[in-house]
Amino acid sequence: MQAPATEVRLESGYRYAGYMMLALVAFGAALYVFDPANVAGVQNFFLVFGSLLIEAIPFILLGALVSAAIEVFVPVTVFEKLALLPKPLQLPAAGLAGAAFPVCECGSVPVARRLIVKGLVPSAAVTFMLAAPVLNPIVIASTAVAYRGREVFWPMVLGRVGLGFLVAVAVGYVISDESKEQLLKKRTGRAKNLDHDHEPARTHAAPASPGRLLSGARFREFFGHLSNDFVFMGRFLVIGAMVAAALQTFVPQSIIGGVAETPVISILAMMGLAFLLSLCSESDAFVAASFVQFGVGGQLAFLVFGPMVDTKLGILYGATFRQGFFRTVVVVVTACTLVGCLWLEVLFG
Amino acid sequence: MSAVRTAEGLQLRERTSARVSPSRVLDALALGSWTAVFWFLLITDRTSLYLSTRTAWVVPTGAILLTVGLVGRLLSLRSIDPKPITARSAVGIGLIVVPVIIVLALPPASLGSYAASRRSTFSSGGVVASAGDIASGDLSLLDVAGGQRSGEGFAALVDRAGERVDFTGIVTKDPGAPADEFVLTRFLISCCVADALSVNVRVVGAPPGRFKADQWVRVSGRFYPLGRDVIVDSTEIVAVERPKRPYLSP
Repeated sequence: MQAPATEVRLESGYRYAGYMMLALVAFGAALYVFDPANVAGVQNFFLVFGSLLIEAIPFILLGALVSAAIEVFVPVTVFEKLALLPKPLQLPAAGLAGAAFPVCECGSVPVARRLIVKGLVPSAAVTFMLAAPVLNPIVIASTAVAYRGREVFWPMVLGRVGLGFLVAVAVGYVISDESKEQLLKKRTGRAKNLDHDHEPARTHAAPASPGRLLSGARFREFFGHLSNDFVFMGRFLVIGAMVAAALQTFVPQSIIGGVAETPVISILAMMGLAFLLSLCSESDAFVAASFVQFGVGGQLAFLVFGPMVDTKLGILYGATFRQGFFRTVVVVVTACTLVGCLWLEVLFG
Repeated sequence: MSAVRTAEGLQLRERTSARVSPSRVLDALALGSWTAVFWFLLITDRTSLYLSTRTAWVVPTGAILLTVGLVGRLLSLRSIDPKPITARSAVGIGLIVVPVIIVLALPPASLGSYAASRRSTFSSGGVVASAGDIASGDLSLLDVAGGQRSGEGFAALVDRAGERVDFTGIVTKDPGAPADEFVLTRFLISCCVADALSVNVRVVGAPPGRFKADQWVRVSGRFYPLGRDVIVDSTEIVAVERPKRPYLSP
């Protein structure tokens, strides 16, 4: 039987759901009364906003699905085999391991922490953490879909993979002297994601036990991860799509064009945008591809920088790693991405 | 009682003490609303208003994946440790559902002249039609776009000056243009509406004041590339319904 306090807590939560439903109904009624088709700008905004989401939502869900499958069905010992490699090979191998495990940026942080705790060289775990969201097959597939038919198709797809790998390894080298104790923050209750509602038997960081692989509990846990990831990443995608649609609809082309045509500024601006939007790497290519005014360098900067440094990652890094780690990542990723994108701009711009 | 039976008994007790978790109901609402959107797009055949023909496959894929996710979430609504709905999670779910309402409420529409005034044209975009494509076959707006993109392509267009063309697009008014002229615009999307680029030709010889901005028309006439512009000397202009696929795909 539930304790009375828990009952009250559960009941009071329905009040928030009620407010939310009321707000949604009011919004729907407002759309019905003030037909958006009557205002060209609003209709344009809704079309761009909707199209970005319709394109990206299946990739978010696909990523959540694979990520949940890895979390629930793949034992963490698979990752731990990296520790058996000679040290000089661990960073590149960790980077390449990202290609084999489709974990998004949010999922890769707890995985990296667990790998470090389990004895993997911290720099290799960090390299994996940064590379996986850029190199994983779903991200590559979504990038290919977004740029299919463009003359910058190969520079974007290969550039993202190559530069993402190099930047991740570079960060790994920079922090290679740090021990587990120096790098990791001591775990507190607050560090765990309070929004997640899993089966209580396991959390994100807990290993998949070898037995009962096909049990009902395991599948419930799988769908728990799936929907949690979808909801968690979906809200960032909605905000990102909203900002992208607003920029395209309401900001004069002369302003965007002015920024886009200034080489270094355009790359830094796209990095800043990626930081603010905090998109999931499985869907960010669709947003990047919509900024047609920006050259290959600017768009690539968005795609390499965003999965490694953004607002939500700042919170996750802060909860997982020591003070200053996020600053180090920002500096190294910014410098490497800027240099790499400038070179690509020279070669393909 | 055997050890096995005890384990079963434990599982049974867990099941009976489990109850519906409000936060999971909210997750199901988010998944369910997006599932509805994807099935709605499929059933009403509105995919082409948002996506290119080459990326349209994501809609049936999304519909299936979302349905699987929704069914899974509905089957796992119960928990032995149900979590309450917090203000933050309610706002988050509301945010995810807002675009659902927009897509469902928005009448069938495509980008119009407002977008034409604010989107990049082909000359700054990245999609090309080769000079070989332009040189042969019926001339299309894709060929025009290719010609505006490269010098080689434009030369191929010039070689075909004076040929008859039939172009379909929307009327875009240029404030400074004579009364018998307008710009015919069609958007090309390689992925979704967000990456739309506009292809424009100037139509001359149009009946003054007969066609309004955003109206879909089919223009027949002879075409002449001049400078970087393409002009169509119209012989017939008729109003048409918006095509089933309003956007061109490379």
